[in-house]
Amino acid sequence: LAASEEEMIALKFTVNQQDIEITVPDSMRLLDILREELNLTGTKEGCGIGECGACTVIMDGAAVNSCLILAEQCQGSRVETVENLEKDKILSQLQEAFLENGAVQCGFCTPGMLMSAKALLAQNPHPSLEEIKTALEGNLCRCTGYVPIIESVQKAAEKLGKDAK
Amino acid sequence: MNSIIGQKVKRIDGYEKVTGKAVYGDDLKFPGMLHAAVRYADIPAGKITRLETDAAANIPGVKAIALHSDIPGSDKVGPIRQDYLPIVKDEVFFTGDVLAVVAAETKEIAYQATEAIQVTYEEFEPVCNLEEAVKPESRLVHPEYKSNIMVHYPLIKGDIRKGFSESDKVIERTYRTGYQEHTYIEPESVTAVPDPSTNGFKIYGSIQNPYTTRKVVAIFMGLKLNQVNVIQSTLGGSFGGKDDIVSNMACRAAILVYKTEKPVKLTYTRENSMRESYKRHPYIMKYKAGFTKTGKLKAMQINILAECGAYSSQTFFVTWRSVVQATGPYQIENVQTDIKGVYTNKPYTAAFRGFGSPQIIFAQESLMDEIAQICGISPIEIRKINGYKQGSITASGQVLDQHKVSLQQVMQKAAHKANFTPKYKQFQAKNKKTSRYKLGIGLACSFRGCSLGAEGTDASSAIVSVQADGSVILLSGVTENGQGLRTTLSQIAAEILGIDLNQITFLQPQTSTINDGGPTVASRGTIVGGNATIKAANEIKKRIFSVIKDELKVHKLEQTVWQNGRIFNKQDKKLSINFNQAAEKAYFAGINLSAYGWFKAPEVSWEEETGQGIAYFTYVYGCQIVEVKLDTFTGKISVEKITAAHDVGKVINRLGAEGQVYGGTTQGMGYGVMEDFDVQRGIVKSDNVDQYLIPTIKDIKEIQPVLVENPDKYGPFGAKSIGEPTLELTAAATNNAYCMASGQRSYRIPLTLEQVKLGKNLKKPVRQSEASHSGKKLHPRLSNIKTITPVNLAEALRLIHKQKFQPLAGGTDVIVQARKSNKPIKLMYIAKIEELGKIEFSGTGCKIGAAVTFSQILENKKLQKHLPLLIKACSLIGSTQIRNRATIGGNIVNAAPCADSVPPLIAYGAKLKLQSAQNTREMLLADFIKGSYNTQLLPDELLTHIIVPKLPHPGYFYSYFQLGRREAVNITRMSVSILVHLNESGIVDDCRVVDGSLFKKPQRIKAVEEVLLKQKLSKDIIAAVQQPLSQKIEDEIGGRWSAEYKKPVFIDICQDALNDIWQQARKK
Repeated sequence: LAASEEEMIALKFTVNQQDIEITVPDSMRLLDILREELNLTGTKEGCGIGECGACTVIMDGAAVNSCLILAEQCQGSRVETVENLEKDKILSQLQEAFLENGAVQCGFCTPGMLMSAKALLAQNPHPSLEEIKTALEGNLCRCTGYVPIIESVQKAAEKLGKDAK
Repeated sequence: MNSIIGQKVKRIDGYEKVTGKAVYGDDLKFPGMLHAAVRYADIPAGKITRLETDAAANIPGVKAIALHSDIPGSDKVGPIRQDYLPIVKDEVFFTGDVLAVVAAETKEIAYQATEAIQVTYEEFEPVCNLEEAVKPESRLVHPEYKSNIMVHYPLIKGDIRKGFSESDKVIERTYRTGYQEHTYIEPESVTAVPDPSTNGFKIYGSIQNPYTTRKVVAIFMGLKLNQVNVIQSTLGGSFGGKDDIVSNMACRAAILVYKTEKPVKLTYTRENSMRESYKRHPYIMKYKAGFTKTGKLKAMQINILAECGAYSSQTFFVTWRSVVQATGPYQIENVQTDIKGVYTNKPYTAAFRGFGSPQIIFAQESLMDEIAQICGISPIEIRKINGYKQGSITASGQVLDQHKVSLQQVMQKAAHKANFTPKYKQFQAKNKKTSRYKLGIGLACSFRGCSLGAEGTDASSAIVSVQADGSVILLSGVTENGQGLRTTLSQIAAEILGIDLNQITFLQPQTSTINDGGPTVASRGTIVGGNATIKAANEIKKRIFSVIKDELKVHKLEQTVWQNGRIFNKQDKKLSINFNQAAEKAYFAGINLSAYGWFKAPEVSWEEETGQGIAYFTYVYGCQIVEVKLDTFTGKISVEKITAAHDVGKVINRLGAEGQVYGGTTQGMGYGVMEDFDVQRGIVKSDNVDQYLIPTIKDIKEIQPVLVENPDKYGPFGAKSIGEPTLELTAAATNNAYCMASGQRSYRIPLTLEQVKLGKNLKKPVRQSEASHSGKKLHPRLSNIKTITPVNLAEALRLIHKQKFQPLAGGTDVIVQARKSNKPIKLMYIAKIEELGKIEFSGTGCKIGAAVTFSQILENKKLQKHLPLLIKACSLIGSTQIRNRATIGGNIVNAAPCADSVPPLIAYGAKLKLQSAQNTREMLLADFIKGSYNTQLLPDELLTHIIVPKLPHPGYFYSYFQLGRREAVNITRMSVSILVHLNESGIVDDCRVVDGSLFKKPQRIKAVEEVLLKQKLSKDIIAAVQQPLSQKIEDEIGGRWSAEYKKPVFIDICQDALNDIWQQARKK
């Protein structure tokens, strides 16, 4: 099929609290919609098969691989990407912790890591080491050896806990 | 003094990386930009007899197809020997060769066009075996070079015959290492943009070495260097990997720009990257060592074959480092080393963090441990006896007296920190008492030449430019690859100028704005880039000093102190001036506040015939200690702790330096135990990261960096190198730890399950027919999909029946498979249908909707209570992201042999409810699955529910074991699920044992169950399982390639799981 003959879908969903109405090909993945249609290039593609987690976003509260979600599956959903973490020029605790503790090197896995970590802390504000590892097991990082990433999530959780009190 | 050197400093390019604002190669967009795709070779070796592009060119939206005949400049490129063709002429040398490159309006059209290009070949038998390739009778990969041996470095020191004759003992060992793939998380991307101002190009992208890319593109396009301006995008990991391949991609993008006059982007999929990108060299290393009874090395003879694959690339340099360092950090009077780089028709090999050292360190450190064992001394003692000390002489005859030789110091620090000697004894004692799991601790040491050494021109550049308001712009000829160089160099400039780090902006480098600083390789960024930065910053100081000296009442620069944003009179601190005001003053005085720093490394030398000379101007020393836990039943090695002591000269950024240790050791650990790049008959089988496994977060336990500081006279503030040393030792230390645990030596990495268990790397044999890619998409992607969401179950059933829609729920299998399929696919999204998403309980058991996700199953309290075996298995499926989407129905219907939910459900006796528009039926899951990806599902049927009947009694014991190649996100290699019930007298009255990934389909293993039924559990009865189980496996899968591994392992894990149940019962 040439591009013009592609099946199209009229999609309504929200991305970072904004209502989106857009018509895209059925073959399009959430990842492509974010990157190509909405210019949200913070979400990355590393493997295309749900193994590396670079494309992780939060959909209806759960961390998902946006490379394994077709447009049809987004209908009516709430999607949150890395671009939504900084509010009014203030970085989130997680972002700050990632910087403070050296959890970022090349940074390509970072958006996905942050989104997996955010989904975890939203559901479980006081995760154990094992729970942190389970939440991030689907996010590959080739630079940091993960140690600083784990530390960052622990420290962000501590801080968020204190702020809540 | 408020020094920033050695502090923990947040990286200065961190903000854009945590907000998603950093611009990586594929994030770039230009008006009118076209998308490119490459047409790969279908076979690893052969002549192209026909290349037909008409059909491709006629696809609407295709803008250009570039072939070899279109190349305006030189068709061949390469750092030393120009044997690489970015677009091949009439012959292919490996399956990553590119025959044609297409530019089109969309990526999809470009992909379609590459797949429409028809090629026929006269096939050659590919040269695939390194040892065969060096034989005179081997077919020549590149006949024009007359030999498959493309480089040979000899090294001769002393007289090895004399050395061996003086030895009490001589041993010979052969060591082998495999490919390692860089697996940067960002696949390669390059964009070429026409630049009318130079009649050339701007090249953007994931480029590790912009000056190399500039040179290669200029040669290929027939341009001058000033017509190609290369601008590095934020780099998503490189590790040596985004050098040659990205330059070659840039050539392809540039030629398409030349043909279309539009910007062209070429982004690779992971599959493209795995297929084409170069890897770490596989080595075969023969070591012969002579030594005295007390462990003193007398002679060493080393013969190494390094596989360079289809092209020479960096092999000249990689093997040179190997020849310099092959004996390790040990003084040996008599040495003879020969290393040869050899062509094959396999993926080519080049730079990868470590660069020819991880292989030889694995060999020499294994050898040292074995010699220690023979001499009855400890691993530490052997290295104390032979290890370099101040003034030692290397194999190349270099006297180590120009820097602190800290080998003994780092070894002692590592051993102390890791508690090596006590642990060694403790583990030995423990291992005598345990059967399944054994503990091991091992160490490895190295020395490493800093920067390029005698392999090349070693100089670098920096520009420090102070603005009128005192803000500073820093440029460097070396690049940020993710390692943190921008931060390190900015710290150095800040320290010299005595200003805050925030006052400095590191400018994105462009090759046209600063002169060639050489490649950012060889762990040279800090040492050469830092020195150039210091020179530029010191020049600035001199110039600013000239306008403030009177005010500060000083005559010489040395009489001032620059710190905290002020310049002070050293003697009288009351006399000072703000740096910004000083800058302004200089500006108005017409002073040039932009200074160029150029650092040329100290002289080195090399004599080709004898391999003697001053190889590097300084060296670093490292020692790593690794602790492992070995599962002797399965061959699985878990790395429990890594202690890494490295002499870095001086720490500049502690956060960055420790980060290098964490990351490098993790890559080294992967290299040692799991990273197994599979190429069969020249075809890359490890085509994505589900096949080529790198460590996940769960594979990392504890890493302890120990940074040792001995400032070097040549280093900026004394700093040397850290990037590569961290990687090069880990696999060697891991292997030594494994050997200690197992009690036997091992000579090959990676230590995969099969390697450990069988002593060989078992591989699925490739069929001849698999060699061609016909019928598969050349570029896996989603295309040609139609989707629909039925409002309810009835509509879904109608859609299957009438329009042949396939169900789509989580999509974690369906979408992955759709990427590879080249047929149109019609999918209906059923996950929102209410009745498919429920978990219901009744007196007879529970009913789980087919669209219930694994996360929902795991969270369900009642399921946790009633079906613990299922919960355990489901918790190990994929990753959190996968479990959030993947459904139990999908897992069953897909019927992959590794489907983790199936064996426990079979054990529970689950039934399936299958509905079609006309009919509803129920079937046992055990019957439903016919085999691998094969079920009883009729074309118009939908699996709607899984019905799990209540077990006949309360109080079942369960045991589950899943074997994977790493600690998370596994394709299950094998599993065993067991449910057992004992009556009041402890007799087994129900027993269900189910395999996963063993037989043709998962099933109750009656042969085992019958042994146990009506018996009391005991050591003997569990032992009695062995014979019938062994027979059953032999009957079912005896002839299969994997049986050799699976048979003994399954028997062991099955018996161990039964033991586990027995122990649970005894405790009760």
